[in-house]
Amino acid sequence: MIYVIQLIAAFFGSMGFSVLYNTRRTKMLISAFGGVIGWGVFLLVNLFITKSDPLAFMTAAMAVTVYAEIFARIKKTPTTTFLVTGIISMIPGSSLYYTMNYAFNNDLENFYLTGMYTLKAALALAVGIIIVSTAVHMMTAVIQKFFKKKA
Amino acid sequence: MQQDRLLKNALDLGEQMLICGAEISRVEDTISRIANAYGSKRTDVFVITSVIFLTLTDDNEKTVTGTRRVKKYSTNLDKLHKYNDLSRRLCAQTPEDNSFETGIEQIKAEKPYNLPVQCVFSAVVAAAFAVFFGGSIKDALSASVIGLIVRLITFAQSKTKVNTAFSNVVSSAILSALAFLAVKTGLGDEASKIIIGNIMLLIPGVALTNSIRDIISGDIVSGMLRFIEAMVTALAIAAGYVIAALLMGGGAL
Repeated sequence: MIYVIQLIAAFFGSMGFSVLYNTRRTKMLISAFGGVIGWGVFLLVNLFITKSDPLAFMTAAMAVTVYAEIFARIKKTPTTTFLVTGIISMIPGSSLYYTMNYAFNNDLENFYLTGMYTLKAALALAVGIIIVSTAVHMMTAVIQKFFKKKA
Repeated sequence: MQQDRLLKNALDLGEQMLICGAEISRVEDTISRIANAYGSKRTDVFVITSVIFLTLTDDNEKTVTGTRRVKKYSTNLDKLHKYNDLSRRLCAQTPEDNSFETGIEQIKAEKPYNLPVQCVFSAVVAAAFAVFFGGSIKDALSASVIGLIVRLITFAQSKTKVNTAFSNVVSSAILSALAFLAVKTGLGDEASKIIIGNIMLLIPGVALTNSIRDIISGDIVSGMLRFIEAMVTALAIAAGYVIAALLMGGGAL
């Protein structure tokens, strides 16, 4: 049940951010579902495959990037539009905040632990995004070359 | 197109895209594509988060150089989409009339969503993330009211020229104080859930992730700038919370 609630919350969170970033009409909905897909994949990986959060973040980021690349091509818009809003529920915002809070409370052990978690999460998301976007770049380059030769 | 005019227009377009939240590589890519489409023999462009450098060399080895300093950003993905369309069209058709300039001006003049809409959706985001991190319905309701207020505060701050770190301290202190107040009056259950929902509106989580993306893909200077910027902002937000906690007796998290 808690997972369903989280997914619904992710939907509205992503949609809200897409409005704050000035996305319009159908793109708003696409962004919102991007958030659901991101968190859904994260939950699936985390529940069934590995207990490692960074790995799950990476997989989820890859899924969102694939989703964003596909819809960016359909909607003829920069990939960022759906990517930024799609990963919003996974960004290490809360842990970044807790890290700084521990720093202020002089709780150095927790500062280190949460700080490392935050960095790993951000790194995992970044790597996940880069893997997919690089693959897409390579694929489009190959496809373009192929079609140019034919013509 | 005249070299000087091309330089100015390319810089204008790049500047606007950067303001709207384009990635560094996209800005560099767009500028060099346009310059090449308009017949520049060699284009050297270097972009970091706050500056664009561009040098164009034509067939007679004549060079022109321009710099743009970008001070203010406001993420606007709709405008970014339109600039992207514009640059694609320019590259394909390279019109010599002033459709380059008018295209940029037209998009620049478009208004973002008005303040009430932004307030409502800030409320939606705050409530959604309060629930997302395990808050109750009551928490979500108080988070949404506070989210609305936070948007008003950030809007008021954007009209003044206060430095960003300081304005983050202020907004974070106010939202934390309101959250403590909500719990004290029984309108919310857990202050930390209400706060975290609203913090999501301010915290640079996306900037942090993007900074690492920049670093890995080779834009190291931009990545470092953004990384430090994200850290400073996060520290400011935490400082605001601590001030509110000390004043209201909320205690540590």
